[in-house]
Amino acid sequence: MGTQRIEEHYIVTEPYYRVHGQELTIALAAYEHQIPLLLKGPTGSGKSRFMQYLAWKLGRPLITVSCHDDLSTSDLVGRYLIRGGETVWMDGPLTLAVRHGGICYLDEIVEARKDTTVVIHPLADDRRELPIEKRGEILSAPPEFMLALSYNPGYQSVVKDLKPSTRQRFIALELTYPSPDIEAEIVQHEAGVSKEEAEKLVRLAEMTRSLEDAGLQEGASTRLLIHAGTLIRSGIAPRQACKVTISEPLSDDHELVAAIDEMISSLY
Amino acid sequence: MDSSSDHSTAQKLYGVIPAIELNSWESEELLDCLTELSDSQQDFLLHQISVIWPVSHSLCLAFLEAVRPALSCLDKEQFATWVRGILDRYESQGLQEARRFMHDLDNHFICTLKGQTGLLLSTIKNRLSLYLRGVAGRPFDLETAPLPGTDTTSIFLPRNSTLFGNVDANFLVYKLLASLQWAFIRGNLYCHEVDDEEALFAKLGRPMPSEPCSAIFLTRFFDSFAKPETAKAIYHFLQSFRALAFLQKRLPGLMRDSQIYFRTIAAELSVNLHQNELLSAEYAFILKHLCHNLPLELPSGPGWHECRPSAWWQDRDLIFVDTNRIYATSKDSSDRPLAQPPYFLGSFLVDKAHARRLSRRKEVEQQFIEALSIRILPALSKKDAKSPQESPTAERPQQPDSGANLTIRLPEPPDDQDKIEPIHDRVVRHIRLDDQKIDLDHKLQELGREIMDDLGNLPQLYIDSAAQMAAGRSYEPNMNTPEQEGTALKGALLYDEWDFRRQGFRHDWCHLLEKNIHPSGGTFISSALSEHRGVIKQLKRQFEQMRSHHRFVGRQRDGDDIDLDALTEALADRQAGLPPSERLFVRQLRDQRDIAALFLVDMSSSTEGWVGKAIKESLLVMAEAMESLGDRYAIYGFSGMRRTRSEVFRVKEMEEPYNETVQGRIAALGPKDYTRMGPPIRHFSKILAKVEARIRLLIILTDGKPEDYDDYKGEYAIEDTRHALIEAKNAGIHPFCITIDHKAQDYISHLFGEVNYLFIDDVKKLPRRMPDMYRILTS
Repeated sequence: MGTQRIEEHYIVTEPYYRVHGQELTIALAAYEHQIPLLLKGPTGSGKSRFMQYLAWKLGRPLITVSCHDDLSTSDLVGRYLIRGGETVWMDGPLTLAVRHGGICYLDEIVEARKDTTVVIHPLADDRRELPIEKRGEILSAPPEFMLALSYNPGYQSVVKDLKPSTRQRFIALELTYPSPDIEAEIVQHEAGVSKEEAEKLVRLAEMTRSLEDAGLQEGASTRLLIHAGTLIRSGIAPRQACKVTISEPLSDDHELVAAIDEMISSLY
Repeated sequence: MDSSSDHSTAQKLYGVIPAIELNSWESEELLDCLTELSDSQQDFLLHQISVIWPVSHSLCLAFLEAVRPALSCLDKEQFATWVRGILDRYESQGLQEARRFMHDLDNHFICTLKGQTGLLLSTIKNRLSLYLRGVAGRPFDLETAPLPGTDTTSIFLPRNSTLFGNVDANFLVYKLLASLQWAFIRGNLYCHEVDDEEALFAKLGRPMPSEPCSAIFLTRFFDSFAKPETAKAIYHFLQSFRALAFLQKRLPGLMRDSQIYFRTIAAELSVNLHQNELLSAEYAFILKHLCHNLPLELPSGPGWHECRPSAWWQDRDLIFVDTNRIYATSKDSSDRPLAQPPYFLGSFLVDKAHARRLSRRKEVEQQFIEALSIRILPALSKKDAKSPQESPTAERPQQPDSGANLTIRLPEPPDDQDKIEPIHDRVVRHIRLDDQKIDLDHKLQELGREIMDDLGNLPQLYIDSAAQMAAGRSYEPNMNTPEQEGTALKGALLYDEWDFRRQGFRHDWCHLLEKNIHPSGGTFISSALSEHRGVIKQLKRQFEQMRSHHRFVGRQRDGDDIDLDALTEALADRQAGLPPSERLFVRQLRDQRDIAALFLVDMSSSTEGWVGKAIKESLLVMAEAMESLGDRYAIYGFSGMRRTRSEVFRVKEMEEPYNETVQGRIAALGPKDYTRMGPPIRHFSKILAKVEARIRLLIILTDGKPEDYDDYKGEYAIEDTRHALIEAKNAGIHPFCITIDHKAQDYISHLFGEVNYLFIDDVKKLPRRMPDMYRILTS
């Protein structure tokens, strides 16, 4: 296990992100005033990409943690390791970001256990400090540090929701799917397909999204469209490409998959 | 036939249908029919009669009239299918339809066997409506009709699609027909009104129709021509062109696939089309394009070449101008008969669409008034000083404020940066009542918009009615009516029932009502609690131990903390020259119970007395124990009589806390009617399937066989219950049965499976055994 080096977390080349609303202005203002950020939005709508773009724009390192239900406080803050008979302290990703004034991005925060989520509380209000209990140390976050969380409100689960005490510390930005022309532009750029092809994919996505009331949990995300576009560009027949990237991943329900397949074959 | 065989036939018949149910001519008719058959045929037919007789006597007699040809040409398997078909039709469409089905054996059945009926709409309705919903972005009802068409809410499609021999191609036909109707709706086929009708008629050089004239704009338009039918046909042709061109652009894959359909149609049409008929050449012209999937063009005759179809989308008057011109140029030949449009273009239902629009207007009005009245109720009740009868008035903001106390606020002009379609700025966002601003919720906004789209404004009458309704409501003694026994919580739910004799479902056969149960006072609870105090205490401790808990596991490769013991050992090992262990951490593990259980209690009349008391006590003990465990659980009772009144009684909902009210409801459980198990099992399977839990348990507490007042008994009842349980298992639910019955063994394992039941012979043991069973089941 090597010590994590902060240099690795800088984003050197500009990531592609198409701003489609006020999200960048608001995020920059939040950064300036040291208010943490909460990104809401359906899966594949560009939350993580937006964070990369923001980090690049601010010139700060971005440390992303994908949350899961086994994530413990030590996983975030850090722990002692034993090396050659001696104990060595190793910073966790959150501590690393605080120490170096980076951006710590906790992706899918609702997947983490509620007791884990609580460690970010002192960081997320005006104290902006991180107590490291095991070392008896309190780290004060420099002005460059930013905390960002993301979650998908679409999973209507009782178990997976943010506590009000957590969510009320954040500026919340909702990143929904962009408008059709912007989404087509994104697909065109990311998948490298023609404008017409991209527009067609977006139309398909809209069709699947209107099935959300009819039993589909979520419609096709921008990410799925990019996958479909990429396959199409690499020479796979469009109907096949859309089947494997869109209808099959979206559902296991035969009727729904068949209905989406029919949409695909109508379009292509 | 000698009399002895007659006699044995009669014996057999009465074995199937009790003689008492038959009057003399019925039994004669049945016997006449049977005696002519061989023994094995008799037995076979009697079996079928036993299936049909309980469903309907007159159906059974009608069946016997029609049965002879079927017996001679169908084998047993086919015959059973045929009988299923008859029952399905009887249940869905009534006796007449079932008769028609029986008598027209050739058309309705034999061809199905030969695979000639093609594809029935009913078999693919689900998939097609999902498809259409996706494509159109809104739901449509799919209904059957001889010709395709739409009234803008429903899309009509033929009952079956028989053009092709295979399912895929026939489905394609449905897809095309449905998509085309959607395209018609998109193209505003039934243009209800134009912006300025007078100006349009002036532009066309036609007089405005004089009184009396139709309420429908399109009809007024067509009637202004000497031959309205011709004008209508031309208009429909142009709209068809527009819809097809739209589909070519929007759904290119569909139009490419459909070439096979168009080619088949074109071959047929070339036979039927007469050059002499008006528009026949034009239909053939576009069909030729469709056959080769070429971009559609309008024919290049006089009058046609001036049409600008692409501009129709921007200027909705234009299509009328073009209709008018084409009519004028074909005037010389307008004596020619009109060509029949190709089938797929469907029928043009102006009146139906209008009627639909009016009925929708009524619906929306009702919904709006209803919703608005509920919305303004709280505001209204705050002003006690005012008489509630005094109706507030509505004001459009563009009108001068006349001191009215209820105003509708239209939205401010949209922000510059958001391009909003004109339709969106017709949203009514809030209503002003005196000084209180009442925001309209999403639904009201939607309804408001629909009304504005339809009528152009929000009629004063709607708001008055809503205010009056609200005023009326605020005088009601209590909005939250107290829970009363027997109050249905919502309307009846329909559930299928499995008929093993035909190996098929009786669709929407049972009506199930969810009802409240009024908590009862009395001493039952306190005495039962004190009687079982010991058991409860013991169970609580046992259940406590089953709770989720955190535990630390030492000697892990990584973890939250250092395992000091392991570390010391490792250091010692190293000192000793041994390879030290790397497992030096403590890790916290959490065992989580994620279980949802639903207790379903038999409340049939047979539970009266000891059994009922024991069941109630067991529930109480169980609930007490469950509280210390923390699993989610619900308790419901069920009973009912006949298929039209299956009832379930809510004792405790899944998320409801266990309290005195719940205890009271347990005490109030009492014997009711019969034990029709299928509907409640299906109902709660549906509910449980939605609960998010690792394990979902459906625990049924009963004292005997499923049985109802009607023919729900014996094998039929057992097979339906069994099927309902299989459905539950398929939905990821574990059904479990606790039964208090001395004769349970013979059917219970068939119902629930070898290990999924608990048999209790002494009812006094139940309060103890039930929690035990639960503990074993879940740990």
